[in-house]
Amino acid sequence: MPTVNSTGDCQPEADCASTSSKGIASFSHVKMQEPVLGDTSVMPPPVRTSVVNPAANIRHMRRIIAEDPEWSLAIVPHLTELCLQYIIINFEKKPILNHLLPEHKKRVLDRISTGLPLSVTANLISDEGYWKRCCTECWTVCDVSCYGGSWKRMFFERHLENILKYFVPNVTDPDRILDAIPLCKDYVRKLEIDQFLPPVKLDEKKEEEDLSDSGSDVEIDELSMHHYDIGGLIVALPHLEELNLSYGVKDCGMNFEWKLFNFTSKDCSNLAKGLKKCQSLKVFKLTRSKVDDDKARLLIRNLLDHPCLVELDFSHNLIGDRGARAIGKLMNHSRLEILTLCNNQIRPPGAQAIAHALTKNSTLISLNLRLNCIEDEGGQAIGHALLSNSSLRSINLAGNELSEPTATLFSLVLAQNTALTSINLSCNHIGLDGGKQLLEGMSDNKTMTEFDLRLAEVGQESEYLINQTLRANQEIARLKTLQQSNSPQEKLP
Amino acid sequence: MRHVERQEALGEDPDAKKAEEEEQSRSHKQIEESRQRLAKLLLDGMQLVTNIQVAADARETQRRTEEAELKRQRLEKLDNEAKTNQDKFDEITSKWDSAREKIIPQDLWEVLNQQQQQCALLIEEKNKLIGELQQELKNKDEQYTKDLKKQSDDINLLLERMEEQIRNLTKTYRRELMQIEKAFELEWRELLTNNRRKWEQAMQTHNAQELEYLISRMKKVEEHEKQLNQLRGQDAREFSALKIQLENDVQILEQQLQQMKAIYQLNQEKLEYNFQVLKKRDEENTIIKSQQKRKLNRLYDVLNNLRMKLARQIKQFQEENQNLTADYKRIVEQYRDVQKTMRQFATINTQKFLELWLMNEEEAKGLMRKVLDADRIIHTQQLGLLWSEPSYWFLNNMGPIIQKGNRTATALAQEALEESNQPKAEDTEEAEDKERPLQHISLKTVKKILELLCDESGFLIESKMLSLLQPLDRNERTLMTLDSVFMALDIDSEADVYRLVDYFLKFKAQQDASSQGKEKTVEKDEDACEETDGEVAKEEDGSTAPEEKGKALLPSAALLSSVCLHPDDILKALKAFVQDLHKLREKQALGRRLLDGRDTSTDSGYWDNLAHVIPAQKLKLWDALEAALEKYYNILTQRLKLLMKNSSLQQQNAELHLLLQQYCTSQMNDKLLIPPTQLMELSPP
Repeated sequence: MPTVNSTGDCQPEADCASTSSKGIASFSHVKMQEPVLGDTSVMPPPVRTSVVNPAANIRHMRRIIAEDPEWSLAIVPHLTELCLQYIIINFEKKPILNHLLPEHKKRVLDRISTGLPLSVTANLISDEGYWKRCCTECWTVCDVSCYGGSWKRMFFERHLENILKYFVPNVTDPDRILDAIPLCKDYVRKLEIDQFLPPVKLDEKKEEEDLSDSGSDVEIDELSMHHYDIGGLIVALPHLEELNLSYGVKDCGMNFEWKLFNFTSKDCSNLAKGLKKCQSLKVFKLTRSKVDDDKARLLIRNLLDHPCLVELDFSHNLIGDRGARAIGKLMNHSRLEILTLCNNQIRPPGAQAIAHALTKNSTLISLNLRLNCIEDEGGQAIGHALLSNSSLRSINLAGNELSEPTATLFSLVLAQNTALTSINLSCNHIGLDGGKQLLEGMSDNKTMTEFDLRLAEVGQESEYLINQTLRANQEIARLKTLQQSNSPQEKLP
Repeated sequence: MRHVERQEALGEDPDAKKAEEEEQSRSHKQIEESRQRLAKLLLDGMQLVTNIQVAADARETQRRTEEAELKRQRLEKLDNEAKTNQDKFDEITSKWDSAREKIIPQDLWEVLNQQQQQCALLIEEKNKLIGELQQELKNKDEQYTKDLKKQSDDINLLLERMEEQIRNLTKTYRRELMQIEKAFELEWRELLTNNRRKWEQAMQTHNAQELEYLISRMKKVEEHEKQLNQLRGQDAREFSALKIQLENDVQILEQQLQQMKAIYQLNQEKLEYNFQVLKKRDEENTIIKSQQKRKLNRLYDVLNNLRMKLARQIKQFQEENQNLTADYKRIVEQYRDVQKTMRQFATINTQKFLELWLMNEEEAKGLMRKVLDADRIIHTQQLGLLWSEPSYWFLNNMGPIIQKGNRTATALAQEALEESNQPKAEDTEEAEDKERPLQHISLKTVKKILELLCDESGFLIESKMLSLLQPLDRNERTLMTLDSVFMALDIDSEADVYRLVDYFLKFKAQQDASSQGKEKTVEKDEDACEETDGEVAKEEDGSTAPEEKGKALLPSAALLSSVCLHPDDILKALKAFVQDLHKLREKQALGRRLLDGRDTSTDSGYWDNLAHVIPAQKLKLWDALEAALEKYYNILTQRLKLLMKNSSLQQQNAELHLLLQQYCTSQMNDKLLIPPTQLMELSPP
């Protein structure tokens, strides 16, 4: 487990920062320790030493090796054998693969080194076995199900992510990315980049200034602290469907500085331009990046009428009411189904804007406004919107300073709306009377399966009774899905 | 689950079935229980884990509200501070003016000192505030580190709980799985025992059956063996008998073979002999053949000769043919000449005929006139009766008879129509009808049909005509329409009209015959037809019997008029009639041409009429008159004779007188003894 870092984010890391791949690990370690040194060493590709079988000697000792299917008694190996051997050794110079017979091809693929340059292998080899070897050699934790079951896609996505994560502007050669793009572009569908390193050129001067006053040189920083232009990369990837970005530095430890976490307006405009051109994008997540109203508006302006965007996540940012208004507009100018805005600074006006959009919307399925400050005014607006909306299935309003008036309206919603299946109102001040009203609304409802009222001061009795109803509703929903799937066997949960 | 419910609901199934269902449902029950338990566990665990997040959220919100409150207080404090300090600062600055007015150094120093003190105070206050804020900041930092620690604790707790949860879950899952497996195993075992029991029972019954089958089979085998033995013995006997018989047959056949061989030898010899004979014959045949060949050659020569002859003959016949065709042409020419001459002769003949006719007629007329004169004389002079001159049409005729045109169709129609107004005239009309062919149909019928025709065939009339006809009375209108209809149909003679009516009636009759199944009417119709036909024949023969005919006609006419034609059929009938009429016309035209354009049928009648200008009655009268006159003449001749005799007697008398006188006067008289004179005087005449 990594130690507690400054962002308070402590999800278990399963990527190369802690892998055994020594080159990457050591490099990242150095970077983390001394981000200001301007280490110009280019990140080497994963080093793969040629494996020398220690049992080879023993093989010479034995007369018959039964466990090896390729072992042959003949002293002089077959010509095909020799040829294959030659092909394997010289694969980098003469990649001969497609002309071979299937069995020979298989043998070659099993034996060629995983350290071959990608320019040779990327478009030539489509065999999953080879890429599986590559992946397992690079990373210890490999869950292929996250990558659509394709080892090749996994390799290239993680390869590109690694390059981007450790890309230092003005230091790292941009050709590294430019070279990688033509090799990766056919296979990359998802990019998940949770850190962008800031440029290091001016750092030494600024360090001194920072010590004196960290707040005064923001403007100077703004000019020079731009991160890598992700927009250009997105445009170059024709199959990109999911983009998870987080402008920040991980594992900075005691080198923490506020300027490491700046999402500059240049970055934002670059990203916005890229998003506008990337028509295949379905999921876009920009979290923990200090996105304020203006940046959010810029991004959303470029996302309006996007042909296939389905999920949008702006959690842990600084979006206020103006940004919320822009998001409300986007809701009815796209095909958004999942919208996550948790831990922002949306206040009643912003919530009202979103609620107004919700009344007209018929695509949105899930809305998350956790840890905002919409208060009763916004809560009531959303409740009114839910009375007329019939597509939303899940809504999260936890930690929003809601109280009894909102609960009164939500009891109405519970009685009327049949699309909603999940509501979260935890960490609000609903109070005993509000709990009773919610219980009343819940008594007629047959579709709600999740209703979180923890720490909402609703009283144990109401909570218990509501949970009883939820239990019954879950049973109904389960039977319904069983009937729909037409499987008479009752499965274990 | 549902299964169980259903079972509970039904409750009263047959026992066996119930037991089975229960067995089956045991595992289900177990699964359901496990599922519920696990769901609860999962939910609880999930809540346990998420509680931390919720708690953190709650804390965060709490913190935020507190923070907001503190911030507000701080701002307020700062504001207040700034205000008070500003006041103080203002005070100090105001004092500077008063200080400037001071002239005495001590005072000035004092004031300056005071000012310095106050400034120091102000700065101190400010510094104090800064210190407070810094203290607060430090506190916040501490708070932050605490929060960090708390969060890491939370995360550790979360991890712990998650791990605990996973452990717990795997354990319970495993346990439940075991239980379910156990349940299944139990169920399976029960099923197994049950099935084994069943299986054993089935096996026992099966074995028993097998045994039974075996015994029955053995019995059967024995029986069959017995039968087999029996059959074998029988077959052996039969076989030996057959063998003996066959051996006998072989011997017989061998004997026959010997015989056949002998016959064969004999035949061979015969055949050899025959062969020799045939050889000789062959030789003869060759000779004959050569002869025949020669004959053939000869015959060929003859054939050639004959052919030449034939050719000559053909040529001859061709010439003959040419001659004959020439003859034929000439004859045709001659024929034409003859025809021409014949035509000339014909014209001459007709002229001659006319002349002869005129001459004869003149003669006949002269004779007739004479006869009539005689008749008149007889009547007036002899009989003293009043004589009126008979007025026959032929009296005024001059020249040969020309076929007079029949009455026009319209006239007939008119008659028919008028007839309806004068029903009394029917009898007389009928009497007249006799003389006309095809006029056996009553005028009533005719009228009816004509009216029908008039109504139905309006399309044959011009529309202008119709409008013109509108004001006329009914009969006239009908007449006019009929006239135009006849024009359209090309009907111009009375006969045609009658034919039309007849045709309609026949058509109707045919339709009746075909459509109606009633034999009676058909028979009647046929009878009527036959009768009418008979009448026609009679009429043509000339032997007329008006009374009979009247009787015969009445029923038929009544019948025909009673069967009214359906208006729809009229057009069909009309069409058929028009076609037939055309055919008939052509036929008549042909016949007329054959008759050389003149009808001699009436000539004899005419001449007869001329001859019989005096009717038989009158002839009888004449005969009687002649007889009477004869008698009168006889009497007159007798009288004449008598008169003649008288005169001759007178003469004789006179002569005798003379003689007497002579005698008397003669000398002889005196000589006689008795003179006659004396006597005479005695007996005067």
